[in-house]
Amino acid sequence: MATHPTQYAHPEALVETDWLEKHLNDEGVRIVESNEDILLYDTGHIPGAVHIDWRADLQDPVIRDYISPEKFARLCSRYGITPETTCIFYGDKANWWACYALWAFRLFGHEKVKILNGGRDKWKAEQRPMTREVPKYPETNYPVPKKRFDKEIRAFFDEALEQSKSDKPLIDVRSPGEYKGEITHMPEYPQEGVLRGGHIPGAKSMPWKTATNEDATFKPADELAKIYLDQCGVKPGTDTVVYCRIGERSSHTWFVLTYLLGLENVRNYDGSWTEWGNKVGAPIEKNA
Amino acid sequence: MYPQKLDKIINLFEMLPEDERRETLVSYADNAKKQEPREGENFDLVDVRKDEECMDTVGVYLHVDEDGKAQIRMTLGPEVQTLTRSMTAILCKGLEGSTPQEILDLASDFVTRIVGAELVRIRSQTIYYVLTRIKSVCKVYLDRQRMAQVA
Repeated sequence: MATHPTQYAHPEALVETDWLEKHLNDEGVRIVESNEDILLYDTGHIPGAVHIDWRADLQDPVIRDYISPEKFARLCSRYGITPETTCIFYGDKANWWACYALWAFRLFGHEKVKILNGGRDKWKAEQRPMTREVPKYPETNYPVPKKRFDKEIRAFFDEALEQSKSDKPLIDVRSPGEYKGEITHMPEYPQEGVLRGGHIPGAKSMPWKTATNEDATFKPADELAKIYLDQCGVKPGTDTVVYCRIGERSSHTWFVLTYLLGLENVRNYDGSWTEWGNKVGAPIEKNA
Repeated sequence: MYPQKLDKIINLFEMLPEDERRETLVSYADNAKKQEPREGENFDLVDVRKDEECMDTVGVYLHVDEDGKAQIRMTLGPEVQTLTRSMTAILCKGLEGSTPQEILDLASDFVTRIVGAELVRIRSQTIYYVLTRIKSVCKVYLDRQRMAQVA
């Protein structure tokens, strides 16, 4: 069996709650909260944090796609972010939506991104300062990104299909019931219109939360390696595609594979099961 | 036509700009705990359950007084989302004094007038849950009343 890493490949991609409390006012840092609960930021947030909603701010309201590079530049400018700003993302649900926002920032080429280990849950549990004051930052002039990194970190249907046909690593990070096709939505969530239940042929099941501890922090590197390298068969240097229902949970796994295990060529299939499960001609497997 | 108390709340929300609307929703959410059953209160119907559509357990407690007016109390588990907490406080206050039949007949279009188009657009799946649960309790109560009358 291969020796597993004892350190994260990019430890600089994580900040701890203790560190953040001491660096709340650092210049060149912007704290970004992103949640599933749409009003959670309004009930109180880390001092100085701005709010980015995964749907209202990052998704195009008409086309199923992300916002345009122009809109991304306007969003960053509004919050005083420049390409040199280090954005530290955190949020509810063990940073699930924070990782989604981080992934979207990477899609537009923003390089300085980090996650607050443990997210909002840990910050609150440790009774660190919260405020309802919404910060105002001088507007910047974030340049319109020249390209979107779709090819590098995003997979589309045809690429996911090719991944399946060529037997390359494909990880389904939804709940076991969704993977087996017993349900078509997550437990506790409304049905969101998928015709068929199951998974992409050849996909391995590894629910996203397997990567986290009870306190919402990430598991150590060696444990993550056992989960993804040993159990899911992911190999360094091989293309890997992760997916879930709409690409949110899988962006958490994408972060783990890319930043904590240091794997290259990991892509998030954001069309995910809401596309695959409805797509005419798309093969599925059930109950594997 | 909406019950008078609810109508006042709807009018208040419709006058607010988006940021104040959100602040007011959060303020209602902060007060959701006040809608829990109080010591000594008795209820005609209690429905406490955890549904697939909601993140945590929600309890609805219905008391109907001798004039046929409803009083609704609710309990919410810690994982229940903020918008659901807001709607809990709004509906418990707004529907106080209405009859179960009036509650059951209530058109749900007012929910979007309170929450606002933007929040409806981005979280449409969560905003009707509390109203649906309250209506469901009222329906069971009325069905039982009718059955009792027939018997």
